[in-house]
Parts: sequence; C-alpha cells; structure tokens
Amino acid sequence: MFMNKADKIFIVIVAALSIALYATVRLVVVAQTSNETIAVVTYRDKEVLRIDMSRNANYTVKGTLGDVFIEVKDKRIRVEKETSPYNICSIQGWVQYANVPITCLPNHVVIVIQNATNEFGEDTTVR
Amino acid sequence: MSSKKRIRRMTIVTMLLAMSIVFHMLEPTVPLPVPGVKLGLANILGLIALYMYGPKEMFAINFTRVLIASLLRGIIFGTGFWLSLSGVALSSLIVVLLKKTTPLSPVGLSVASATFHNVGQILAIMVIWSSVMMVYWLPVMIWMSIPTGILTGSLASQVLRRIKKGGTP
Repeated sequence: MFMNKADKIFIVIVAALSIALYATVRLVVVAQTSNETIAVVTYRDKEVLRIDMSRNANYTVKGTLGDVFIEVKDKRIRVEKETSPYNICSIQGWVQYANVPITCLPNHVVIVIQNATNEFGEDTTVR
Repeated sequence: MSSKKRIRRMTIVTMLLAMSIVFHMLEPTVPLPVPGVKLGLANILGLIALYMYGPKEMFAINFTRVLIASLLRGIIFGTGFWLSLSGVALSSLIVVLLKKTTPLSPVGLSVASATFHNVGQILAIMVIWSSVMMVYWLPVMIWMSIPTGILTGSLASQVLRRIKKGGTP
C-alpha cells in the first residue's frame, strides 16, 4: 500500500461524510413516506402508469430497448426484468420509500413512489 | 523542448490515451456488487499523465477518452455520455486542485477522483431527470469509491514507481 497520512485522513473524512449523508437522506426519505403510496412510472418524462402500492401485482411498460417488467409486493416495488446492457435497475431490487427512484437509463423509464394522500389532496383542491 | 522530446511526449500521451480507452471499454464487464459502480481503471492513465507531464495532458486524456469511447459505443451525446463527461470534468478539476494544495499521494488523489466522479454523475443525473432524490444513491456510490479509489491509486503508484526507476521518459 502506498498511502501517506494525508491519504488516510482524507479517506476517513470521505467515509464519515458518506455515512452522515446516508443517515440524513434516509431520515428524510422515511419521514416522507406515508402508509398509502402509489408508484408513478414515466417513459421519456411522460407518465405512462400509476400503480396502487397496496395491491400485489405485475405490470409491463414499454421501454426504449424493450418491455420493462415491474412487480409490486408487500408495498414494495422492483423492476423484475428488463433489457439493457448492464441490468442496473433490475439489480437495484426492491424500493419501498417515497421519492427513491428506480432509474432504467437505457430504457428511459423511471419509477418513483409517491404518497397517495398528497396526490388526492391536490385533486380535492382543484375540484 | 527539443523536437525529439516533443515527439516522445506526444507518443507516450497517445499510448496512455489508447490504454485508457481500452480500459474504459472493458470496465463495464467487471462485475461489482453494487449496480452502477465501476472500478475506474481508466482513471489510472489520467493520473499517470498528471504525474508524468501535468494537468493539461490529464485533461486531454480524460476528455478525449470519454469522447472516443462514447463514439465507439454509439452513445455519443446520449445520457451515458453526459454522465461520463460530468464525472470526468468534476473529478479531473478536483484532482488537479488537490494535487496543488494538499500532500495527497496518488492513492488519496485516486479516492478523490472516484468520489467526485460519482458526485459529478449524480449531479448530472439530477439535472437530466429533474429529480433531487437521486442523491439517495450518492452515499453508497461515495462509500464504494473508497475501495475502488485505493485499488486504482495503488496501481497508479506502482506504475509511477516503475517508470521513475526505469528513467522513462
């Protein structure tokens, strides 16, 4: 190993900052998630599907490189299968918190969980 | 600088660039446990250029590498290209600044390069997808940049030590 003292200090600072950032973001994300959630699926920035997270089901949306298979189970969502060079979004696995995105870059598909209460709240205001 | 030295320098920089493109192209085939995380092997060549010649050569190698590798992959001006470019731009800038202002060795600089490469990419993706919450993945990416940075920095140190020993160039 070819590390000097400055390297070690720098690495400790980077590690500490990443832990602090993780804790902060996690707190925010958990606090933002309500009991009733929906998942919004967009393709090329256009909403193509709205999923009720309280029902276990499977969905399919069209991505740039092929179909993207989405699975909802126990209020969690994941991309089960998709066609892409590295399958990053299916490897990502389950997501259950609001605003934590599942991003399938090559397919231009993004899935984000939102609080259902906020959405209906907005509807009520408009009506 | 004599013309012989200039040609030698140009040849070596070109060879470093060629190697960095090969690493850039092969890197995604190396499996890592976290999705989206790469070893950053191509950055070793930029770091070597920085120590051998200076910031100008490092910037030239890093930017040309992203451009040519994206052309070869057929993703030029696509999302992947802009992500690579933002990562390389921020990491190269930070590495040059840290080399000038701190006593960090190639290992420390490599960790900084990996860290800020990820920061640059996440910032770009936040702009492209208009989603602030992409920041959720940043701590994981930064955490992973420590072992990958140490690995690539150690490799760069070894190469630089051997180059120094051999008296090249």
